[in-house]
Amino acid sequence: MRIIGVYNIKGGVGKTATAVNLAYLSAQAGLRTLVWDLDPQGAASYYFRIKPRIKGGGRKMLKGKRELDELIKGSDFDNLDLLPADFSYRNMDLMLGEAKGPVKQLLRLLRPLSQEYDRIYLDCPPSISLVSENIFRAADALMVPTIPTTLSLRTYEQMVEFLEGHKVGDVQRMPFFSMVDRRKRMHLDMIKRLPERFPELLQAHIPYASDVERMGFYRAPLGSFAPRSAAGIAYEALWRELEAALKS
Amino acid sequence: MKAQSLQYQLKDSESIGEVVTALTGQFQLTGEPEKTVRHILHDSFDWRLFQSGLQLDEARGAGLHELTLRKLEDDSACETIRLEGPVAGFFHDYPPGLLRDRLATTLQMRTLLPQVEIRRRERLLRLLDGEQKTVLRIALQEQSARPPGRGEYQPMAALVRLLPVRGYDKPLAQVSRFLTAVLELKPQVDPLIVLGLSAIGRQPLDYSSKLNFNLQPLMPAGEVARQIHHTLLNTLEANLPGTRADLDSEFLHDLRVAVRRTRSALSQIKGVFPESEVEKYKERFAWIGQLTGPTRDLDVYLLGFDDYRNSLPEPYRPDLEPLHAFLQTHQKSEQRAMVRKLNSPHFHTLLKEWRAFLAAPPGTESACAHAHKPIGKLAAKRIYRTFGLVLKEGLAINPHSPPEALHELRKSCKKLRYLLEFFQSLYPEDRIKPLIKSLKGLLDNLGDYQDLEVQADKLREFAHQMVAEGEVPADTLLAMGMLVDGLLKRQQASRLVFADRFALFAGREQVAAYQTLFGPDRKKRDVAGEQA
Ligand SMILES: Nc1ncnc2c1ncn2[C@@H]1O[C@H](COP(=O)(O)OP(=O)(O)OP(=O)(O)O)[C@@H](O)[C@H]1O
Ligand SMILES: [Mg+2]
Repeated sequence: MRIIGVYNIKGGVGKTATAVNLAYLSAQAGLRTLVWDLDPQGAASYYFRIKPRIKGGGRKMLKGKRELDELIKGSDFDNLDLLPADFSYRNMDLMLGEAKGPVKQLLRLLRPLSQEYDRIYLDCPPSISLVSENIFRAADALMVPTIPTTLSLRTYEQMVEFLEGHKVGDVQRMPFFSMVDRRKRMHLDMIKRLPERFPELLQAHIPYASDVERMGFYRAPLGSFAPRSAAGIAYEALWRELEAALKS
Repeated sequence: MKAQSLQYQLKDSESIGEVVTALTGQFQLTGEPEKTVRHILHDSFDWRLFQSGLQLDEARGAGLHELTLRKLEDDSACETIRLEGPVAGFFHDYPPGLLRDRLATTLQMRTLLPQVEIRRRERLLRLLDGEQKTVLRIALQEQSARPPGRGEYQPMAALVRLLPVRGYDKPLAQVSRFLTAVLELKPQVDPLIVLGLSAIGRQPLDYSSKLNFNLQPLMPAGEVARQIHHTLLNTLEANLPGTRADLDSEFLHDLRVAVRRTRSALSQIKGVFPESEVEKYKERFAWIGQLTGPTRDLDVYLLGFDDYRNSLPEPYRPDLEPLHAFLQTHQKSEQRAMVRKLNSPHFHTLLKEWRAFLAAPPGTESACAHAHKPIGKLAAKRIYRTFGLVLKEGLAINPHSPPEALHELRKSCKKLRYLLEFFQSLYPEDRIKPLIKSLKGLLDNLGDYQDLEVQADKLREFAHQMVAEGEVPADTLLAMGMLVDGLLKRQQASRLVFADRFALFAGREQVAAYQTLFGPDRKKRDVAGEQA
């Protein structure tokens, strides 16, 4: 089992789109895949048409009163399941804080699923919090969608600082460019210059494309309705790069 | 995620339409286009997967070709792989992974064979919730079966299968209640392979190399002997096509075991057939043993090759490659020579005459002293006497006895083993099984002692042969020398544990068990025909 966190301190950068689309490709390739929607907004759950609600709420789950196993819902696609969001996740920081070893709670909850799934994607809420620290510690890889602007890079650097400051060195950082608009000079400029400064940057980048927005209309992963679109192909390249890194 | 399913049987394929109408009247459903998929179910000749509670399902359809190992009990998938070409026969032809591991432990040296082909037309309905999310899949399947790749398709019962979506138990319960309570459909729990085989007049486990007679003590010995020989002849013939085609090494092995058992039964069940016939057939079956021997020997080396290689230190292992190639070439040519003999008129006549002899009306053997005696008495006497012989020969062996003494003992043990196996159904299973088991323990030891030396000698012979046939790297010969050394060491080790193994076999309790079951003072239970 490999755990992939999709994370950025900033909101609205394409985290959920990435988690949903990569998980879909993973399942299509025959890997048993789970998406955990950790965002109380429940955007990932929405894309899968699954109600953002779990029996007993987040507190019972964290206390171990309910096994994650019982809360999982099958999606409309083979090999792809979802652990839905719940509104109570908005208090997740508080709930985690009450536990013993507050930064390792997610990992503890996920461990029993290791026989059942090959890949687990975590769709994370933005901002740095106890939740994100849990994610850093649980994940094998951290996908960081990054819009190619100077400001985005600052937040990426903040994240790196945090990881180093908190000695979460194990997780493999995988930033990649998201919502790339080729008409914008700054985007092109950043794409050219940055790989030198951040060698961990992935090759694949996701273009800004209305097909991605249409996921909200279809309520389905991009790969299921427009696999050969420019964005569809880009997600596939991104997924291959991720898998290659996970296997190496 | 694919999950376990529930299935119900329809009266006939026409009623699929009625079921669809009834379901759409009750639930919010959406349909998918009809699909036709062919399922070919694979297993070994002796049903090793089925015996382990598994079925291997090759699915072929438009843009679909995959192989799924499923549990029989709930049809759940253990593992699925996509296929590029045909289904591979042996476990070692599969890529490393769960599927290969499972096949390795269940199939071992056996190959997969297609057992039945099922053509399935399926309509898939999806039950949706308020968000238009699929919460249950309902498959309506019309299917027919035929022997793989040939013949007419035979009709099978149509099925409705419920394919649950994880985390949505309520709709599953609602629909299954509707199917059983309102439509009055019956659950169907048989696995696909059973349904398919039954449509073509077969059933799983229709072959086994194990002896499974159901004898009664009062049956006349002549009749029992015929029954035993008949079964052995059927086994022999069942293995002929696979032996000729060299599908896997086990066909020939089972065939040879049937021949050995036949010869043993001929000499052990005395006085039931005319002596001259018995002598004639013993010789003729010995001929089959001889003509199949060389191929089997090479099969054994090839089967054990990995163990040979792994018994050497890592750096020397590649040196054995030329030996492997040598074994393979010779196996092929011996196999060809053997097949020529198996196809000869001589061989055909032998089997034909033997079958005719066994089918001759009872009474032909009325001249024979024991033909009409009850088998219970005869069996006990033979077993008890052979046991006595084994004891005597075994007790006489000391650390200085010559190898021949152990080889003789092995022969007697084999006789005893065949007798116990032929006649085990005359005795309570829980009493006779332990006896067979401890005898096997002794036989394994004696087998090691004799065979390891034969193997060592044979390897030296191979070495000379390889030199005579052409260039052989010196490293290969050296590596073979190491093998010979290892074999002889193991052989000596087996001699050292003999005393312990024999003591286990000849322990007080064992002797007492033989006495009560087979001894002259045993209760007259076989006469009364009751089970003690
Ligand atoms: N490559 C893209 N091209 C165009 N629109 C995109 C792209 N990626 C995401 N979007 C759109 O941008 C919005 C935000 O995307 P998304 O929800 O994936 O980001 P997020 O980082 O998960 O946001 P949040 O922080 O709110 O969870 C959505 O409306 C989505 O459809
Ligand atoms: Mg999001």
